[in-house]
Amino acid sequence: MIMKFEKYFRPESLQEAIDLMKEYKGEYKLLAGGTDVVIRLKAHALRVKTIIDISRVPELSGVRIEDGKLYVGANTRLMDLSKNPDVVNSEWEILAECAGHVSSTQVRNVATLAGNNVNASPSADTTPALLMCDAVVHIAGPDGKRDVAVDDFLLGPGKVDLKDGEIVVGFTFPKQKENSQAAYIKFAIRGDTDIAIVNAGARIGLGADGKVSDARLVLGAVAPRSIRMKEVEDFLIGKKATEAIIEEAAAMARDSITPITDQRATAEYRKQMAYVNLRNAMTEALKKLA
Amino acid sequence: MNSFENYITVSFEVNEKPVTVFTAPNRTLLDVLREDLGLVGVKHGCDDSNCGVCTVIVDGKATKSCCMLIGQAEGTKVTTIEGLEKDGVLHPLQKEFIEHFAIQCGYCTPGFILAAKALLDENPDPTEDEIREALHGNLCRCTGYKKIIEAIEAARDDMKAQA
Repeated sequence: MIMKFEKYFRPESLQEAIDLMKEYKGEYKLLAGGTDVVIRLKAHALRVKTIIDISRVPELSGVRIEDGKLYVGANTRLMDLSKNPDVVNSEWEILAECAGHVSSTQVRNVATLAGNNVNASPSADTTPALLMCDAVVHIAGPDGKRDVAVDDFLLGPGKVDLKDGEIVVGFTFPKQKENSQAAYIKFAIRGDTDIAIVNAGARIGLGADGKVSDARLVLGAVAPRSIRMKEVEDFLIGKKATEAIIEEAAAMARDSITPITDQRATAEYRKQMAYVNLRNAMTEALKKLA
Repeated sequence: MNSFENYITVSFEVNEKPVTVFTAPNRTLLDVLREDLGLVGVKHGCDDSNCGVCTVIVDGKATKSCCMLIGQAEGTKVTTIEGLEKDGVLHPLQKEFIEHFAIQCGYCTPGFILAAKALLDENPDPTEDEIREALHGNLCRCTGYKKIIEAIEAARDDMKAQA
């Protein structure tokens, strides 16, 4: 279908982007890679008059480690992120791994980390990494800058805590707990090119006594947004992560979710697959720790 | 209908030649390559970045041109299938696709060859798994992929022997 937007701008600074968002308030959409925006413009699922292409805004790029924290600019391409030597083999390796699961080579070459998260798809592949790492979202707007924890940033399908006129600048990944490892499983029929039926992520940390000291468990595509399984995390902490405990934790997660039935899977199947994949993700994280 | 007042000027390079277009912004790189520049080797398929027939190389990276706005192409270097043949000599990938009969209807072929070229340019010695991963975004409904993989492996070996 023919895209209906009328105007296209390509600002070359953050200020210019913010000014454009102010001028076209309520009728613009930001485009970074466009791998989702363009499809939605064609399908008329997105009806805006103005496209602001932020791909050339220099303030939105860059990946660096500062004071033991990882900073990733909003416009970082998922392919670059999945191969970045500062991220691969670091304590934030899970971010590179999740980025590598997004769709195909051609899409990862263009799609950005901010785009994949601002889209707020419940089945997004990189959102679980952000949740497993307790990432902070940096936002700029007409009234200055603000930071928000990723868990508070995600509101629902397609909805994030971003007001008209605001833009995501980048993400900070804090130092992860010692002796902790993360794993991610995307469960989809056609592999990475497909949208996940369920995805599951687990970060588990072990204390000196061998008991679980840190747990961050995430399920995707089973709720309006990627969700942390906080009750299950609390259940795990302080326990020895035996096979039986892991099974019990995964069953708790299964029983706490209320997924929907859609063209990809029934609610019952999603619950069962959430159980299997979260169990496997926890087992894999523990294997990495061993 | 988009008023010409909203038209944009986009300058980029296609197959090593500079191009400037003055166009409505609500068009994709694919639209401009096919309709304005006559490069119909770039195919139009699913239109939502599933099938990969519109794959071109943008600044060295395989990209789906159906989901890239023309404005995004500003300043880039684009390679289409028309840019692979040099002085009447086919690129090793083109030659091996023919040799291995990795083509049946041919509609997906330009996309596969360009996805493979982007891979070989970055990694001259990919394994079969790496080749399959690079082609994950390209669909072929005729060949069953086996011949395509064999052709790319042969081209890889040709190019290594030439290097």
